[in-house]
Amino acid sequence: MEQDEKPREETEMETIKELGQTELPTAAEEGTPFHCLTIIGQIEGHMVLPPRNKTTKYEHVIPQLVAIEQNPKIKGLLVILNTVGGDIEAGLAIAEMLKTMRTPVVSLVLGGGHSIGAPIAVAADHSIISETATMTIHPIRLSGLVIGVPQTYEYLDKMQERVIRFIVRHSRVGTEVLRELMFRTGELVRDVGTVLVGEEAVNVGLIDEVGGVSTALQRLSELVAKRSSGDDQ
Amino acid sequence: MILYTVLPLEDVYDGLEEEIPPTTHVVRNGVLMEVEMCGDFEAKVVRVISSNPNDYLAADNQPGSILRMP
Repeated sequence: MEQDEKPREETEMETIKELGQTELPTAAEEGTPFHCLTIIGQIEGHMVLPPRNKTTKYEHVIPQLVAIEQNPKIKGLLVILNTVGGDIEAGLAIAEMLKTMRTPVVSLVLGGGHSIGAPIAVAADHSIISETATMTIHPIRLSGLVIGVPQTYEYLDKMQERVIRFIVRHSRVGTEVLRELMFRTGELVRDVGTVLVGEEAVNVGLIDEVGGVSTALQRLSELVAKRSSGDDQ
Repeated sequence: MILYTVLPLEDVYDGLEEEIPPTTHVVRNGVLMEVEMCGDFEAKVVRVISSNPNDYLAADNQPGSILRMP
């Protein structure tokens, strides 16, 4: 019995157990023209994180996005976020990929879309947050690096700046408001920053609307309809 | 590398000193993959190395899935 091929369900369970990710179907099946990409745990960047972390591996996600973009059967992409943040370069790489895709993208923040999750959420054509989901807007903190020279601080500031610029460019939130949220003191115990819960993220203009999976799929269908009526195909 | 996360760094780097299991490379269905051997007959996919984006969507190639070695 041990030699037998494992049933599909069992392998799927193993994938979830090992990486917290489910596998994506090869091609869109009949009736399900949308793909779903989950951004979970830490977004892993240039360093392999210890196995205790659940990670989203950008080097795997990026070619998947290329495949989705190229496949005419895949009409839209639903990005589900439940992330605690992660590597700034990897996060921005995924965000830029989503932003520049021709395939309509809708993002849904469930649970949490913290730190570098924010630019990924706003990178979609339409962003949705569930009622109870939270997003933490805070400055980049770094305890592993000793700030010995002013240049180090300036470098960090520059990194911060590109996150702010990306969010501002792709959402309704203004630079001033975002900075205010980011450097607000007193709300977080450990540091400065703001926790936005559901509707608050919509009110500041970071996310487009409050909703759930049905809202997300409906918006995706609308975007697909709009795009195909605008194009020749 | 700069992390932008709400998790404290000590949590992210917890277990960093633990040894990472050695990996090897295999070609499966014409796709080069980096795998971690689990016993003699099974290997866990760590990474896909391919320029064909569809290889990254294939169900059997997802990181974490188990390959049966011949």
